[in-house]
Amino acid sequence: MLTYQGVEVWRHTKVIQWTLQIVSAIVVVALVAWFFTNIANAVQDREIPHGWGFLDRAYQTPIGHTFLPYESSDSYAYALGVAVVNTLVVSIVGVILATALGIFVGVARLSSNWLVSKLATVYIEFFRNVPLLIQLFFWFYIVLALPPVREGYVIGGGLYINNAAFSMPFPNATGTAGAVVWSLLAAGALAAGYAAFRLLTARELRTGQTSYPLYAGVATAVVIGAISWIVVSLAAGDAPFFISSPEPQGRFGRIAEGFTAPAALVALLVGLVTYTASFIAEIVRAGIQSVRRGQIEASRALGLSPMETLRYVTFPQALRVIIPPLISQFLNLTKNSSLAGAIGYADLTAVAKTMTQLAPAVSIYLLIMVAYLAMSLTYSLIGNLYNRQIRFTGG
Amino acid sequence: MAATYPHPNPPPEGEGINGNPPPGGEGMTRLPPPRTEVGVIGWLRANLFSSRFDSALTVVSLAAIVAALWFGLRWIFITADWTVISALGGLLAIGPYNTEQACPGQNCFWRPQIVLLMVTALLGMAWGMAGGGTARRIAIGAAVIVTLFAFLPYGFERMGMDVRLLLAANVLTTLAGWAIARYTGMSGRTIALCAVAAFVITLALLRGATGVPGLQPVSTLHWGGLMLNLLLAVAGIVISFPIGIALALGRRSNLPVVKLLCVVFIEVFRGVPLITLLFMSQVLVPLAFPEDFQTNSLLRASIIITLFSSAYMAENIRGGLQALHSGQAEAARALGLPAWQTTLFISLPQAIRNVIPAIVGQFIALFKDTTLVYIIGMLDVLEFGRAFIQGNAEYLANQKELFIFLAVVFWIFCYTMSYVSQRVEEHLGVGRR
Repeated sequence: MLTYQGVEVWRHTKVIQWTLQIVSAIVVVALVAWFFTNIANAVQDREIPHGWGFLDRAYQTPIGHTFLPYESSDSYAYALGVAVVNTLVVSIVGVILATALGIFVGVARLSSNWLVSKLATVYIEFFRNVPLLIQLFFWFYIVLALPPVREGYVIGGGLYINNAAFSMPFPNATGTAGAVVWSLLAAGALAAGYAAFRLLTARELRTGQTSYPLYAGVATAVVIGAISWIVVSLAAGDAPFFISSPEPQGRFGRIAEGFTAPAALVALLVGLVTYTASFIAEIVRAGIQSVRRGQIEASRALGLSPMETLRYVTFPQALRVIIPPLISQFLNLTKNSSLAGAIGYADLTAVAKTMTQLAPAVSIYLLIMVAYLAMSLTYSLIGNLYNRQIRFTGG
Repeated sequence: MAATYPHPNPPPEGEGINGNPPPGGEGMTRLPPPRTEVGVIGWLRANLFSSRFDSALTVVSLAAIVAALWFGLRWIFITADWTVISALGGLLAIGPYNTEQACPGQNCFWRPQIVLLMVTALLGMAWGMAGGGTARRIAIGAAVIVTLFAFLPYGFERMGMDVRLLLAANVLTTLAGWAIARYTGMSGRTIALCAVAAFVITLALLRGATGVPGLQPVSTLHWGGLMLNLLLAVAGIVISFPIGIALALGRRSNLPVVKLLCVVFIEVFRGVPLITLLFMSQVLVPLAFPEDFQTNSLLRASIIITLFSSAYMAENIRGGLQALHSGQAEAARALGLPAWQTTLFISLPQAIRNVIPAIVGQFIALFKDTTLVYIIGMLDVLEFGRAFIQGNAEYLANQKELFIFLAVVFWIFCYTMSYVSQRVEEHLGVGRR
């Protein structure tokens, strides 16, 4: 009779648990190993290209639109990096716009005005119940149905809207050194402004004296930024940045200068933002509704104005409920940006798909999986940090 | 409850509080509330014109609504050219299933229609069991919508009398299902078993078999249209649910190896976009299995969608388990239930009940995500419609009509799902116990 700690082994919880775990681990490892052996065999037998040598080779395929400078002669590794930056920029801009629109719609949904609240409800119920792919195709079609470049709309002399692209003024760096130095100083100015804001808020809360933390913070940041702008301009002999405005050029009115977003990028951003905003609006609504009525009534009874109640009582409490699902929506937006390929925008997935025609597919798959997992883990990390912070400060 | 109690300090006769006349006293008449506070005017004042800002908002939104209705209705009834939808007709429902390549020499339209008949019969059974309410609304709604297609005034050359009769028969199957469930006192479990049987029959029927007359095999390459979206969604929902539960329990278990495996699985499938997983599966899955093991794209898509969905399902259920009070499990253990019974009969039912909205939201997302199978060349309803337009140049200008029509179709399905989830939630009394 086999016994462990005086109990027959097949009845000992520890033994059963560990046997099960070891068996499951062996099964999973064996399965994964089997898959990899099969892949390795298939790669050898069918002479499928493999390895990592392709990364240094020239990609020699154009990418429709890039945020980083890119030439066809650049390497595969750099092209992948360019594609990652495309996905990152789209997702960051999308996240910012979707949050703004989502908060707006979510607050509108809670409006005491019946019409406004119903309009917001219709918006939410429509956009979140229709596949994003259909919405993207629809927006792309709408953008392509705009007038051509030469007959396009020009708004305020700087915003050019036509079926090829949307162009807008954009700050451009005059020289590298000045731009970098001033950007660093500007970041410092923002930090100083934020520090002033925090300090004065603390003082206001401690002493009860009105200290205008917001005005003081903004003023600090603007003043430091302006002074450093002047100093850098004098030192470099030129302003660090200038605003470059779009200019139609040549016979076909092609628009140069400024920032030009091609039609596919515009449709992608509009689609992602309107779709994600409908989810964010529901999150914001649930968050605000989770704050107990008594909190708001107490704050009003203490003499805080409706605005102050929202700022100091409702919002901080709602934020704890809002942030975790909000971050998961940010992640969803980032992942949904992979639908870009359907309307011809070169995001990471689309570029990787094109690359697999000329380069080892398995290696590229591994690379893009790592890239997406890194993005998703970054979001998770931010979410966890936030969760830890609200847990520690209590309240 | 308007019980009256004697006032502890009654005001002197004939005098009210603070010298005001007593309410409802001798010779006084109770005035009705001002007309501006009740009725239509009161409602308007309270909800639309409570302040200057409010009135401005009302006027602006009213203008927006009128403009949207004006342009929207004009576009729908005058500008839009819906011929592309009538040209596609039933093809949107079954895709290339009944084409000459898919089903040479035979007419296979009746097979998807039998499936539809089974679905309406099941809905009828659910109605008969529930006896009314949401189940009745959905059963009747489905039967009515399907039957309406039988009476469409156009498309006679494609939609013959046989197709129309089979569509109209859905009314009969709904009523038959209702009657059977009603008079045999069918339980929910029986209906669920019938649904599983119907799903198996569906797959067998659509696939066909060699050698059976009239049931010629149809390759899954030719399965398409809305049928494909629904099949992928149903398979994904049904299979991802148990896998999700297992993963959630695994992630919460105190066995380190199991936990690690579950965490890695969940995070990998949640971290990578579905479309990326789908197009990777196209190359990787055939490589990962031996050469004689053939997989088709339908099976691959189904596996990937199911695994992707089960990772999300696991996180939803884990949320429900985390929100559960530990006293529940402790009480169950104290009553002598073994761990597996505690989990199965105490923790899980409550956890799942608490996260029904999240789970249904996941089902809706899964249904919407079935449109992504275009990336591996499958002709789902969206891709089939687009391919049809690419192949028939006269409709090239009508893509927006197709997109809007499909948006409405998907919206109806998704909104019905979320409506049912709200009713179920009310029925189970989530948040009230």
